[in-house]
Amino acid sequence: MMKEELETTNRPDNTAFTQQRLPAWQPMLSAGIVIPGFVLIGLAFIGIGVALFITSQNITVLEKDYTGVETTSDCYKCSNPSDKNCTCKLEFSLSTLFEGPVFFYYGLSNYFQSQRSYGASKDEYQLSGDLDYFKTPISACSPYQYDANQNPIVPCGSLANSMFNDTFKLYQIVNGTKKLVPFDGKGIAWWTDYNIKYRNPSVTPLKNAFNGTVKPSFWSKPAYELDTSDPSNNGFVNQDFLVWMRRAALPDFRKLYRRITEGDYARGLPAGNYSLEIAYNYPVLSFGGRKKVVFSNVSWMGGKNQFLGIAYLVVGSLCVVMSMVMLIVYAKFKFPEDD
Amino acid sequence: MTKGDTTTNPETDITWEVRANSRHFHKHRQKRSFLCFRWGRYADNVVRSFKYSPLTFLPLTLYEQFQRVANLYFLLMVVMQCVPAISSIPWYTTTIPLVIVLSVRGLKDLTNDLARRRSDSQINRRPSDVLISQSFSPSQWKDVCVGDVLRIHKDQIIPADLLLLCSSEPHSLCYVETADIDGETNLKYRQALDATHTEMTSDPTEQTLAAFDGIVLCEEPNCHLYNFRGELHWRGERHPLDSEHILLRGTVLRNTDTAFGMAIYTGSDSKILRNVGRLRVKMTQIEKVLNKVVIGIVLFILLMALLLAVGSGVFQGRVSSQIEVLSALTRGNSPIYTAFLTFWSYVILLSPAMPMSLYITFEMIHVLHSLFIGWDVEMRGGVERSIPAQARNTSLNEELGQVGHLLSDKTGTLTQNRLLFRQCCIAGDIYGDASISAEESQTLDLSWNPFSCGGLYLSDQRLVDKLRGQQCTQSRQFLTTLALCHTVMTEWKNGAPVYQAASPDEEALVGAARELGWVFISRTRDSLTVSELGLKRHYQLLTLLDFTSQRRRMSVLVREPEGGLKLYCKGADIVILERLQKDCPHLESTERALDLFAQSSLRTLCIAERTVSEAKWEEWSKTMAQAVMTTRNRDDMLERLHDDMERDLKLLGVTAIEDRLQDEVPETISMLRQAGLKVWVLTGDKKETVVNIGYACRLLDPDTRLLEGDELRQLLQSPDPEITFSKGKETELWCVDMERAGEKSALVLTGPELAEFDARPEWGARFMSLAGLCQSVLCCRVTPGQKADVVTLVRKNTTSIIMAIGDGANDVNMIKTAHIGVGLAGVEGGQAVQNADYTLAKFSFLQRLLLVHGRWSYRRIAVFLRYFLYKTCSFALVHIWFGFFNGFSAQSLYENWFIILYTVFYTAMPVECLGIFEQDVSAECSLSWPELYKVGQRQELFNTWLLAATLLHAFYTSLVLFFMPLGVFYNSALDYQTMAVTVSIALLFSATIEVKRVGGHGTDIILLTRHWTKWSVAAMCVSFGLFFVCTPITHSPKLFEKSPVDYYFPGVSQNAFPNPVVWFTALLTAWTAVLPSFTIHTLNIILTNPDKHRVHITKHGPVELQKSGFRRGDCHRRSSYAMSQGRGIGRLITSGASHRSTAPPVDRRGTLGENVTLAGQTQSDDALKNIPEIGSSK
Repeated sequence: MMKEELETTNRPDNTAFTQQRLPAWQPMLSAGIVIPGFVLIGLAFIGIGVALFITSQNITVLEKDYTGVETTSDCYKCSNPSDKNCTCKLEFSLSTLFEGPVFFYYGLSNYFQSQRSYGASKDEYQLSGDLDYFKTPISACSPYQYDANQNPIVPCGSLANSMFNDTFKLYQIVNGTKKLVPFDGKGIAWWTDYNIKYRNPSVTPLKNAFNGTVKPSFWSKPAYELDTSDPSNNGFVNQDFLVWMRRAALPDFRKLYRRITEGDYARGLPAGNYSLEIAYNYPVLSFGGRKKVVFSNVSWMGGKNQFLGIAYLVVGSLCVVMSMVMLIVYAKFKFPEDD
Repeated sequence: MTKGDTTTNPETDITWEVRANSRHFHKHRQKRSFLCFRWGRYADNVVRSFKYSPLTFLPLTLYEQFQRVANLYFLLMVVMQCVPAISSIPWYTTTIPLVIVLSVRGLKDLTNDLARRRSDSQINRRPSDVLISQSFSPSQWKDVCVGDVLRIHKDQIIPADLLLLCSSEPHSLCYVETADIDGETNLKYRQALDATHTEMTSDPTEQTLAAFDGIVLCEEPNCHLYNFRGELHWRGERHPLDSEHILLRGTVLRNTDTAFGMAIYTGSDSKILRNVGRLRVKMTQIEKVLNKVVIGIVLFILLMALLLAVGSGVFQGRVSSQIEVLSALTRGNSPIYTAFLTFWSYVILLSPAMPMSLYITFEMIHVLHSLFIGWDVEMRGGVERSIPAQARNTSLNEELGQVGHLLSDKTGTLTQNRLLFRQCCIAGDIYGDASISAEESQTLDLSWNPFSCGGLYLSDQRLVDKLRGQQCTQSRQFLTTLALCHTVMTEWKNGAPVYQAASPDEEALVGAARELGWVFISRTRDSLTVSELGLKRHYQLLTLLDFTSQRRRMSVLVREPEGGLKLYCKGADIVILERLQKDCPHLESTERALDLFAQSSLRTLCIAERTVSEAKWEEWSKTMAQAVMTTRNRDDMLERLHDDMERDLKLLGVTAIEDRLQDEVPETISMLRQAGLKVWVLTGDKKETVVNIGYACRLLDPDTRLLEGDELRQLLQSPDPEITFSKGKETELWCVDMERAGEKSALVLTGPELAEFDARPEWGARFMSLAGLCQSVLCCRVTPGQKADVVTLVRKNTTSIIMAIGDGANDVNMIKTAHIGVGLAGVEGGQAVQNADYTLAKFSFLQRLLLVHGRWSYRRIAVFLRYFLYKTCSFALVHIWFGFFNGFSAQSLYENWFIILYTVFYTAMPVECLGIFEQDVSAECSLSWPELYKVGQRQELFNTWLLAATLLHAFYTSLVLFFMPLGVFYNSALDYQTMAVTVSIALLFSATIEVKRVGGHGTDIILLTRHWTKWSVAAMCVSFGLFFVCTPITHSPKLFEKSPVDYYFPGVSQNAFPNPVVWFTALLTAWTAVLPSFTIHTLNIILTNPDKHRVHITKHGPVELQKSGFRRGDCHRRSSYAMSQGRGIGRLITSGASHRSTAPPVDRRGTLGENVTLAGQTQSDDALKNIPEIGSSK
């Protein structure tokens, strides 16, 4: 019976696959290839590093903390959380032209936007304009699902609720008078967020869609009144809201607030004195957080990033050094007998 | 076989009671079992080698499978993911794969078990004649019950251990072939008790047998094949019984028409089944290491999850309580409860470090490797290469690359069990040429000889001419000796003599004499008839001095038809040469011939004759008669008398017999030895043959010294045999090269000596340390159980992998006990094949199985596992570091889809290709550089340290994977989802670079290159491409609109892919992650001896056998007289006990046998009639 079984086993053809004779390329690695290879990779990395470093060096960054921890700071007066509608000023001067286009960011540190339950605390359906979820937001939003009177909160959830609500106005001091630097708030969020991910319900006027709902408790204005100057910049597609909803990965982050691209400032911020008026609303001191503003211009690789260039240089040099060591090892131990 | 069995004192009580013909008595006491309860005494005759019954299958298979730590772990994961509070992935994502894994394994085991069931039922349904109520009725093996009287026909297999009651032969002799039990194919005789013989043969009817009411009292069932103690109580008398009276189950009745026996041990009580051993689940070394590593990884994950959970508790207490937006989310849970939940979330998040796909892929690769073995056309044997090699156990492949000890059976495995008369030396002239293989040698034209039936592989026309030319008396005398001096019996079938010999050597010699014209025709108790070149001559047999293992020679004293007395003698060279008359001619040339034959590993026998004077004979026979009568010192006296007769011999010549080896056995063994394997031979055969085979198949070098008997015992008794051994070497002359001295010796161990090991447990370790120094170990006269004991001994005292190879039922236990069992297919019974893990058609296929398939498998699987753990661990451990930056909240750093697809799509195919196609060197290279195999034996590619290094590397990679992007993303405007994509790309880069590099990792050997087939290149491109296809798909707006919760990364790839920072970060991260392994790899390349590179370049010829010449003086001539152990059967011949129809049918002289059977009438009969007769002197 055994024999029958063996004989009936199908006989495969004598193919390259079954006989494991597939044509193959076996790279012959030797010191003569490997060491130069290492050098080449090292040099390439150094090259990239230099390019990145120089690019990064050319970017100007102006970063100012306005949390108001130091008593000397003008914003110290606003650091008391009970003080509502506090405004403070941050003054700085530029000795040279701050080349444009200038990007204006706000930055937060020690702020855990990447916390899991915080990030999950939102209703994707609601935010894509589904009116059913306006009435009954999903439970992930809890405890920012309903207010004390069981009215649904729109937009619900902790993430939306904690939206950054400091506002800034930049003035250039020209001969003692304040000249408003125009901010451009359009297109600072991702195109996909603005067009796909977040959508207002197709109800006009927008306000009607929010009937029977309440605004998040932290917000001073309801979602449909976020930007009074531009009706299309309201609801879930408000640029500031979109930027906030795109969570940062790490506890120290900055988010784009405005761009300075218009008028006299299209070429950048000219030298001179500036005053930044801050409507100080957002409390961070309770958990040791910091707030700052950042002016920066950008290059082809985005904002200033010293780390990347330096890391490339370090790793590239490491490769080169290592290949030197290998060469010495090779010369010491191999050449005498390699004939 | 359990240890308890072997230690059983032979003096055990005789408590096993069997009553003849009383089924009623035994049926009541039959062994039965229900669940775990067992009762009853006598086993039934049903074989049950299967494991499962419908009831026990499910629990048993689950129990077996959950012995794998990984399966338990996956079960835990499944259970956890059913808890909504902590689950992050739907329950079916792990449940379905687990169920598939379990059921595939279970089904595989079930089919194997069903195959066993089928083969069992085949055995159980074999026919057997049982005496039931006064008549024999045909029934089946399974119906046989203890105490039953059975009738066995010729060539039937004996169904149970029987007490021979009587047989159709004179004196109730019967012959059995025990090939399946001890591997010897020669016949053994068994004889019934005189009491039963006389009673039952006088009136051999069913009534007498049915009336038999003896009671046998004997030992409890045990595993000793060669021992039996008991007594028969019958008619008020007690008759002692020993193993001579027992027909063992599994032996075959030969040359005997019918035999009647009473079943004593049936089924699982029978001796052979007691020797079979238990079926055990085999687990490879790698799996064991992997199991340990899995435990390590799981513990590590749990520890990390615990630490992170503590972190999350602390974070909640210290940090998030200050932040209203976060503290509100905890919904009033205490930090400890949060920590508890976080712990399980992290366990789930980190669990991909040990993914189930590892096991699925592992299994898949195993199966493919097994298929490769079956597909290999170069491992097909049998007629028209119809028998492929087969991997019956698909999970042991990698172990084939690590075998350290090969324990081989002899008969049927190394040898074909065919003995061929290849050469001879007569009067100093050598005839025949052994350097030409038997198949290629020309056949002589023997048409002049009517009795020639072929089978002579000595082709030398000179000899035939000499013999037929009637001139050379010495050559004629030589052949007369061959035709007369033996214990062979003839049987006439179709007019040609068929020789039945107790020893295959004798059969070969008598057969060769027949071919050359000296045809042994028949024998009676006191005469022999030989046709010498057509002339029929009757010799009167005066005495037969039989072979014993001490005497190592046998002689016959005959009266020639002419009246003269002649002593013909054959024996081992040492024995014969010292008994020669002075100034014997041709002595020197004969000794040269002996050396020459020994060099070609032929078994030699010296042939001599002596003319005895009538006076001498009369005197001698008188003394002999007296000596037989005496009781005191009888043996000594006989020995002296024999010695007295066998002296002053005249040397006629030397025969050289080739114990035909299987194809390419010497080449294979020498290759395996070069590959660092220790080849041991275990056989039931006797010492001389094993040693001879050892030399013939290059297991022993010509100058290898054998350590055996007392010398070995002394070494074992000394507390530190290694030192004693080396000291011994220093003083002895045979040691030429001090360092290699150990390798130039071999141990020879016999079964009885092995039995002593039980009493002296310290001997085992000592023996193994000795064996470690020696080049080989030969174990002879071992039972199947002892073969398994040897395997266990090696297993216990070394860490190496043991492979056992055999072909018969006697090897089954060994095959089961060894790490890997190989059965040779195509042999009757197929018992070994049924129980083997691999089946081969030929021994020589071991070369490819081990050196090619095994080596590749080991390499592939080692590299595969290491790489797999690297890629999954570095993938999962990133979450630990991310935890520090997200408040230990178990936030995943990857998109869920990436987690799912990473192991399945993005990295699966290259690693599968690695596991399937990787070849460091080609098959030809593997075979021509057997040393490469040592990598596996030393476990250089997969051991705890290497795995630790791999895991450390994964740990480092995870650090780099997180902290490099951290540096870039810290305090930047880039968001979490972009970072997720960046880390994913970096991970994919490093995993892909690593799979290209991983081939040569961790070894300082030659293995520097990687094998890039078009498949592996395609797989790499496809899986890499898949990432860039699948990621935009899962990030696509369409899918987001369908299900925003499942596809929550819309537009990320659109925004991240064009961002150069993402790419620069990923590139840097990936290169930094693989930099250490690349450096080590490069250093390996640089520091490797450039010579070794040449393995890849140069093509080697096939391995040459070193034909080292013999040094005169220290040569070991291997003269051996192969006979069944102990005494020959001369006693039976001279007593006339065995004589039946040994004469040709036409011989009506009436002097030969009484029962002349009229067998076939063919032309040969006519030939026989025409032989002119020369009357015997009487």
